[in-house]
Amino acid sequence: MIDTDAAVTLDVFGLTDRGLVRDGNEDHFLIARVNKSVEVRQTSLPSAAVAQEFGGGGMGGYLLAVADGVGGRPEGEQASERALAAMLSYMGRAATCFQSLETSEEHALLEKLEEVVRGVHADLLAEYGGATARLPATTLTLVLLAWPRAYHVQVGDSRAYVRRGGRVQRLTRDQNLGEYMVSLGAWTDEQARMASTAETLSSAIGGSELEPVVGLIDLAPGDSLLLCTDGLTKHVPDDEIAHALAEPASAEATTRKLLSDALAGGGTDNVTVLAVRTAASE
Amino acid sequence: MLQKKICMVGMFGTGKTCLVQRYVHSLFSVKYLTTVGVKIDRREVQSGGQPVMLMLWDLEGRDEVRNINPSYLKGAHGVLYVVDGTRRDTFEKLFEIRDLVKHTIGDVPSVVALNKSDLTDQWTLAAADERRLGSEGLSALQTSAKSGTGVEAAFQRLADATVAPTGAPR
Repeated sequence: MIDTDAAVTLDVFGLTDRGLVRDGNEDHFLIARVNKSVEVRQTSLPSAAVAQEFGGGGMGGYLLAVADGVGGRPEGEQASERALAAMLSYMGRAATCFQSLETSEEHALLEKLEEVVRGVHADLLAEYGGATARLPATTLTLVLLAWPRAYHVQVGDSRAYVRRGGRVQRLTRDQNLGEYMVSLGAWTDEQARMASTAETLSSAIGGSELEPVVGLIDLAPGDSLLLCTDGLTKHVPDDEIAHALAEPASAEATTRKLLSDALAGGGTDNVTVLAVRTAASE
Repeated sequence: MLQKKICMVGMFGTGKTCLVQRYVHSLFSVKYLTTVGVKIDRREVQSGGQPVMLMLWDLEGRDEVRNINPSYLKGAHGVLYVVDGTRRDTFEKLFEIRDLVKHTIGDVPSVVALNKSDLTDQWTLAAADERRLGSEGLSALQTSAKSGTGVEAAFQRLADATVAPTGAPR
């Protein structure tokens, strides 16, 4: 779907797939336009989780998010659904314009997004905390795009990439045991790659630890964003993701190509991909 | 609570992210972590007899001063300039960066962290360099994100300067 204002054209598309091995899909994604109202453009969430309010004029912002539930179905799926629904609900209540925020407003926004994350976390722990079985939890990688600024919040190992000036870089760092041990110098990259516990999340909504990471980046026309769950990155290396983002293709074509690559690579996990292409308005 | 936006600014690879990690999380990462855009952390400190929340904006390091995005600086109450004491070019570029900051947000309180002080055998800065900083009105101290030396002091000095009444040393 494409939106245009005076400065920029945004082309946004998302897809999720259960992959080739899993019985069901615990991933979810969300694309919503946010202004004085919230308009859900595309999502995997069930309609009950989505309070759609249509209307509003001008380009306010975009709420873009992917979440990867863990803990087995149906709880894992519910965890990812809750995280996205809570964000959507907050945006609906905030009913504000997110563009050209003052510094104090930016801090308040990021703190509020973090607070929503902590709220879902607390709810999951309250509901399932007494259980001895594996607790339902979820990752969350979220971008609030208020052109040209993209605010992001991340928990877990779902990633965000940015392509600027022809270069693709990760906006996020995986919050898992492998990344943590390598950062401390306790493991080499090779040891992390081989370790069976490397993918264990060191931070998750509903998990034993929660450490949301927040940040922002200013984009320029021509830049691209990609959000994805680890079902993509298990099978498609960074250089192939970079290559896909370098192709002059639509967001939908990019998303479908990367999903196809993940399935061709084995599709061992649920796969979710969300792409944003930007261009100067003509 | 009083809230102060602190921007961490310096050339690529000077250790800005490591300083924040040490200060906020008491961790040191041996793996180089490239910041893309801005990463934001916060820590509460006491300054001027009151609690102050430092909002730490860790700006991506760039190879060229002209590539630093001025819009990230807007609204900053203080700036922590970070120099890699083992790379002299990052010291020389400091003055250009300071000019960019002054041009963008005016004369806000600042502190210069001469970082990686644990690497004594590779240190490229002399006492004369630190005197030059003083003569330019820049408050500097040596820091090591690896050992923690000087890290608390650098942030505390900057916090105190942002809270100090107007007219106090900047």
